[in-house]
Amino acid sequence: MSILTRLVLVMLACASLSLMANISKAAAHNHQPSHQAMQSEKEQISPCKGVEIICAKTVTSVFAPNGDLWRLWALHSSLYFQISTNNGATFSVITRVAIDKEKISARNENRPKIAFDKYQGVYLSWVTPKEKKYTADVRFSYSSDYGNTFTKPITVNDDNLLTGHSFNEMLVTDEGDISIVWLDSRLAYQLRLQGKKTNGSALYLGKANYRTNKINFSNEQLANNTCVCCRIAINYNNHGELAIFWRHIYGDNIREFALLTLAQGESTQPTPYQISYDHWKINGCPHQGGAISINDNNHYHMVWFNQGDVGKGIFYASSNDQGKSLTKPISVGVQSAQAAHPHMNTNGNNIDIVWTQFTGTEHELWHQRSTDNGKSFTKAILIATALNGSDRPFIINKDSKSYVSWHRPKQEHLVQVL
Amino acid sequence: MSFFKKLSCGIFICVLVGTSSSYAESIAFNKAQLATLKTQNMGKQWLMLLWSVDCPPCFKELAIIQKLQRQHSDLAVVIINTDANDEIENERKDIIEKFELTDFRNFHFVDGQGDQSRFFIDPTWYGELPRSYFIESSGKSHGKSGLVNQSLLTQWLVN
Repeated sequence: MSILTRLVLVMLACASLSLMANISKAAAHNHQPSHQAMQSEKEQISPCKGVEIICAKTVTSVFAPNGDLWRLWALHSSLYFQISTNNGATFSVITRVAIDKEKISARNENRPKIAFDKYQGVYLSWVTPKEKKYTADVRFSYSSDYGNTFTKPITVNDDNLLTGHSFNEMLVTDEGDISIVWLDSRLAYQLRLQGKKTNGSALYLGKANYRTNKINFSNEQLANNTCVCCRIAINYNNHGELAIFWRHIYGDNIREFALLTLAQGESTQPTPYQISYDHWKINGCPHQGGAISINDNNHYHMVWFNQGDVGKGIFYASSNDQGKSLTKPISVGVQSAQAAHPHMNTNGNNIDIVWTQFTGTEHELWHQRSTDNGKSFTKAILIATALNGSDRPFIINKDSKSYVSWHRPKQEHLVQVL
Repeated sequence: MSFFKKLSCGIFICVLVGTSSSYAESIAFNKAQLATLKTQNMGKQWLMLLWSVDCPPCFKELAIIQKLQRQHSDLAVVIINTDANDEIENERKDIIEKFELTDFRNFHFVDGQGDQSRFFIDPTWYGELPRSYFIESSGKSHGKSGLVNQSLLTQWLVN
């Protein structure tokens, strides 16, 4: 018998014994299908190895004050950006943000953020996961020279605890006043140490200004018992006050949206207004945050998604008193077609809303506009489709025009005027 | 090395491979597998549990399954990770091991095909997690979003 034949015999014996072991195990778990049948199904898609934007799961786009469109993404523990001087028609070469590599959360509701001042300042904020599951820090880096160099990243949350700090959002004023909000688990961490039960995270605000050398971020708790896995939405009102819109936990795991406006110079914490009353009771993760846009008349416009007993789908409503009272929410998109992930922008009386739907095979990007401050909306229009997954769509603003930014992984990052 | 030594060495290695956690490897999920699971489980009551590495409450439900499996073994549970992201493969494996889920059939949604997979399981489900499907012996399925408490899981899985 040749060595080759012997080797084949050994392999056959091995395969048959392995198969017997599998059959034996399958019999013990005969509710499960054949292991071999399962193994014959292999993943067809291999991981993307490059740093091109199509390899990214998420993209963040913002227009700089000079009109340049920046897009930012994370891959392989680095941040990359490109700049377009023609509203996204073409982009500069890819630039890696020159900071040390570190893990960056960039999927679904979590993604890096970018903002600008009017003095060539570029501001980056992201979340870096830590060694223990569900622990992370909010990070920050600043460029005073329009992205040529960046400061050594710092951690924004100041508790030095190995716990959750995530879902960061950032806005920066023309003068460089930075506001970063995030979901923070320091309180839950401390309560757990005391053997107390907790539910949800806390909403935190950090402020700094690198132009005036206020480089240590303040850390202020704004609310407690927030949902732990939905993005936050923020915007300035026309008094320069920060409005924050997030998914809160009311009562026994009722997940509704809440709104808070931070009055200038106010020392006491205002009580948030409850915005949605859809009664979505879930001790889990909706993974669907909302969006807020405030127009020149200080009219607050909001969109959100819920799957409650009372309300299901995407809803739009507005408020002329910072959320104290609200218009009757109207439904957006086709709920039975999986309408989800809404985002919005306002310009005067014009309101643009985008969202995604899903056909079972294709993702669809939809758009609807109101030209009368939300009293009525045009018929929804299908803008684009995606086959390999869909990032959340966002509307960005330039010169009183809305542009939609929709990243389609392994396909294309779409930027289009609405 | 003699032929017999080689043979016994080979058999020893393959016994180790064959009898150690046969279900340790998560398998890419597709529509045919869902149909197979449903067919093979006709006549029994079972649970299909969907989870993500980005869902803290999912871990609580996985921990309950771990606890029940330790107490009762051979629970009729199929576990499916919904991240649809090749980048989390190691995290997924760590969690499956941490919660001792390798005795169960583990699947995962294919990268970029998360919504497609979700849709063929249940077009009325929007991806909120954890998601538990209680499937009757007749094949009739009841989906529930959010953490399911231990008593309900015990009642369903332990007869």
